Amino acid sequence: MGRQKVHALDGVNLDIAPGSFTVIMGPSGSGKSTLLYLLGGLDRATSGQIWVNGKELEGLDENDLGIYRRKSVGFIFQSFNLIASMSALQNVIFPMRFAGIPRGERHKRAVRLLNQVGLGKRALHKPTELSGGQQQRVAVARALVNNPALILADEPTGNLDTTSSFAIMKILKELNEDGRTIVVVSHDARMRQFASHMVYILDGKIVSEAEYEEASSFEIPEDDTEE
Amino acid sequence: MRFWDLVSLIFENLSRRKGRVVLTAVGVVIGTAAVVLLVSLASGLQKSATSNLYGIDDLTKIEVYPNYGGGMYIEGPGGGSTDTMKQLTTSALQEIAAIDGVKEVIPKEYLMGGAAIRYGRLENYSSLMAVDTDDLANMGYKIDQGSTELRKGTAVVGSWVVQNFYDPSVRPGQEQPTPPTAEDLLNQKLRVVLTKWSSDGEEIQKTINLQVIGILQEGRNDGDGSIFIDFGELTTLNEWFNNGKRINRNKDGYNNVVVKAEDVDQVVAITERINELGFMAYSPQSMVEGINSYFIILQLVFGGIGAIALLVAAIGIANTMTMAILERTKEIGLMKAIGATNRDVLSIFLGEAAGIGFLGGLGGALLGWLGSKVINVVAMSFLASQAQSGGIPSGLNAVTPAWLLIFSIIFATLVGLLSGLYPALRAATLAPMMALKYE
Repeated sequence: MGRQKVHALDGVNLDIAPGSFTVIMGPSGSGKSTLLYLLGGLDRATSGQIWVNGKELEGLDENDLGIYRRKSVGFIFQSFNLIASMSALQNVIFPMRFAGIPRGERHKRAVRLLNQVGLGKRALHKPTELSGGQQQRVAVARALVNNPALILADEPTGNLDTTSSFAIMKILKELNEDGRTIVVVSHDARMRQFASHMVYILDGKIVSEAEYEEASSFEIPEDDTEE
Repeated sequence: MRFWDLVSLIFENLSRRKGRVVLTAVGVVIGTAAVVLLVSLASGLQKSATSNLYGIDDLTKIEVYPNYGGGMYIEGPGGGSTDTMKQLTTSALQEIAAIDGVKEVIPKEYLMGGAAIRYGRLENYSSLMAVDTDDLANMGYKIDQGSTELRKGTAVVGSWVVQNFYDPSVRPGQEQPTPPTAEDLLNQKLRVVLTKWSSDGEEIQKTINLQVIGILQEGRNDGDGSIFIDFGELTTLNEWFNNGKRINRNKDGYNNVVVKAEDVDQVVAITERINELGFMAYSPQSMVEGINSYFIILQLVFGGIGAIALLVAAIGIANTMTMAILERTKEIGLMKAIGATNRDVLSIFLGEAAGIGFLGGLGGALLGWLGSKVINVVAMSFLASQAQSGGIPSGLNAVTPAWLLIFSIIFATLVGLLSGLYPALRAATLAPMMALKYE
């Protein structure tokens, strides 16, 4: 256990256009997750600047950063991070309780989003009663409740089987088509089929970057995860 | 975050871990119950003590005595001569009467020598006294039989005097005759035999007759053991003891003066004022206040013992909350990721700690209140058995005022809040990324 400083990211200079679908790839430990957390205001850079929508994140205090995360960012995690004691519906409602949205409105919004991700009938189930793919769809619905312009996903398909992975990717693509900016950190090579912007990171540095006019088309199998 | 959203979230979180919350709250229950029960006992003791005192006497009364030997050591050797005494002279009485809030100043005199009171063959050595008023009822003495308006040659007898008559001719071991009742004594003649000795040692006796015109109720005061006679008549008797020399009230003063205040609230101030004038003044009211302050200390000590139990409970809450934060680190990270500010996280964890304190306080207040009821029931039946076997019932009971219950619940909540302060601050300042990665 040393006290030696390790720079997870070093000399990164990255532009993400609004409405783009950015996929960040790289081996584990390369610093891609750190980059995502920095964008989402969950971590602070020791030096450098991060501008999101004309706002510099380093200039915000802890509470303002909390409000930035609440209003502008939706997070999706590899391990879903649903609260086990709450139903799918309550999990989706949870962020709106911090946002001070009235009770009736948040219930309506949560039901609509669960329907959108195809889990309307499972709203009252606890996470343990749902499959991994279904849990991740609940997490996607939760990320959308405050209508954020930026969706950040950290290995969203890392714990899922192939079909569930595709379902999640499809949902992310739909969100992108609605005009949201998507940034996904992934190991999954198939994810690049959806990307309009690819970033490769190695040892904290961007080693390669490419932008596409249009995401290459990929045959998405029919969603058959809904029981 | 809205207040009611916060409250409902806190109680949802508490109900997620019912077993642990209950176990932690039990500590608070015990501490709060101990505080409630012990303070109830202390205030119950206080209430019975002061109610006994209230039975003693009229609380607006102040007894004033001359200051024997005041300044004795300052005046130099030779002891307390009459010069250094602060006498209750006529002018001193006027001075006292001029104090704010004084309603009446009434002189009181005692017989300056020995007297045997005879009723038939029975004898009694109660003290004779006189009050300079037309009606004894003015002094707060309550009549049981007859009248309280004394004239020369009459007497009003205290309640205990009646029972104190005995037959001096009965030898030890022989049965004493039953003492007379109040009814027996009313309108009967008492013979008072006064005895003094001349300068050459010769015994001189004087006998007077008194007609009993009234018997007093028991008042738990100086009247119970006394026989009241006319003020002028007592003065004459004292002059007889004083070898016929006239008593000069301007110089010799009175034995004792009773000052009546207009209001109980003024009694302590008047007492102090009279003491400042150089006399010795005593009032049952200052005793009541002294007893009250004693009981406030008792309540604080008792409450402090209970507070130690609460302190232990507070450590329990702090421990539970610290453990909860370790367990829920990931959840805290998530809350921050989905838009909870540090202030929100702080409020939630402080609220959970305060919630445990509140629940424990509620339970403790209830338990303490029930406990004091149980004590009262047990004490009551114990006292009842004591009374049957001839014991004097004491006033043991617990009094739980509403303010104590409300205060104890608020106090327990505050204890919870304070114990949660450190864990909640830790939770609020967790770095979100570290928290999310915590396994």
